[in-house]
Amino acid sequence: MNGFFTPDLVGGLGTWVAVLLTVGVWSYAVGERTIFRLLQLLLAGLATGYLALLAIHDVLLPRLLVPLVTDAPNHPLLFPAVALVAVMAGAAWLPRRVVAPVAALLVAGVAAFALGGAIVGTLLPQMAAALIDPATGGSGVIDGFVALAITILVLLAFLHGSPRGRFVQRGAGIGRWLLIGGIGAWFGFLLVSRLSLLVDRVAFLLGDWLGLLR
Amino acid sequence: MPSLGLLLVLALASLLPASDAVQLANPDATRSDELRGVVAGLPPNALVLVGFDPDLGTYGEIRATVRAALDDLIAHGARLAFVSFTPEGRALAAAELDRMRRAGQGALIADLGFVAGSEAGLVRSVADVVPADAVGAVADSIRARGGAMGAFTLVLVVSGGDLSARSWIEQVRPRLPSISLVAIAPTFLEPELAPYLRSGQLHALLATLRDGVAYANAVPVDQSAVTRRPISALPMLAGMLLALTLMGGSALRRLARGAPRGAG
Repeated sequence: MNGFFTPDLVGGLGTWVAVLLTVGVWSYAVGERTIFRLLQLLLAGLATGYLALLAIHDVLLPRLLVPLVTDAPNHPLLFPAVALVAVMAGAAWLPRRVVAPVAALLVAGVAAFALGGAIVGTLLPQMAAALIDPATGGSGVIDGFVALAITILVLLAFLHGSPRGRFVQRGAGIGRWLLIGGIGAWFGFLLVSRLSLLVDRVAFLLGDWLGLLR
Repeated sequence: MPSLGLLLVLALASLLPASDAVQLANPDATRSDELRGVVAGLPPNALVLVGFDPDLGTYGEIRATVRAALDDLIAHGARLAFVSFTPEGRALAAAELDRMRRAGQGALIADLGFVAGSEAGLVRSVADVVPADAVGAVADSIRARGGAMGAFTLVLVVSGGDLSARSWIEQVRPRLPSISLVAIAPTFLEPELAPYLRSGQLHALLATLRDGVAYANAVPVDQSAVTRRPISALPMLAGMLLALTLMGGSALRRLARGAPRGAG
């Protein structure tokens, strides 16, 4: 049981709709394209409608309109924010010299934001964690050196076009195979992940709908 | 038609009675024990923030694990507050909150809603995570402790492709180093999140199906257990064998086609 549907009439209706949509999507497996395309459009439409409602209900009304109408003096930053959105929304008809600096400001701000987090939250702590610590004992040191060797070999595989000796070339070849092995392992993860989703859908049809699983 | 054949095989395997000979749960319960240890170490009436941002597409894989974790937290006396930073996460959070209220857990949970802005919203929430319209005893408790993320003893991040525990580690942890983070994620996020567990930035992580099933099996069963039944092992085995057969057959055909060219 997925637990999302109540045992009453509404829940039963929800289960039937979910069943029809699931079977409709699976019809693609037997070559039916029209129903599948219709359901794709349905998903896109529903998602867009939900997003619009969420934006109005959870963002625009409580965070923009209500503060602007009821308590504007205490929210002075909202006015330049609205102006910024107006510039971005009107990008099609505004001159480029007006839009470009605003767009650049936004893109640079977002990039700096993400980059700062990546450096402080991931790069530096992960570099610190990757340092080989002799205090961890033999296995820790061996793990560290294996990780270092793999990292160097994989980085060598990305040296395209630059002059290389035979030793570096061989290392790059090994690095490429290590890279393929890593991607293969990730593909294995994906296979398990997607298979479990399919099994879950089959269990939904057999259990929630047909009641064959207890 | 291999797709239809796969569906039939999975359906047949699902209908067969479960056998102890085929187990999906990881026999190495280290990760499951880590999460259980963190939950067991919570003080009474602890406030736990659930960052709920899974994908619609992959939530089916972690649903049983997430529900087991929520049950585990509530069984240890925790009070839960749900917040989402992605629209998909918000849709699923609303469904889960509805399910929990129907199960009689309404007094122990708070809905902090959707925060726009993705990672920027995440950063804004560090200082203020309770919306003005949030009501209830749990929301009041958070406000009494300052209304910021620092009010929480633990953060459980239910991850998805759009916003995972990585965003929390990169944007929240540097601003709130004392925060304790644990995560549940679909299998495809395992390679991305595992390094954070090894570096100690995550205190516990369940990011493979096997670890999730091991954890779900370890959490005591109650009346809601029927809604958190883990994925069956037998159809997974049948599906994997079928997939391997298809891949092996494809590789053999390719080799057979390539042999004459190589010989020439």
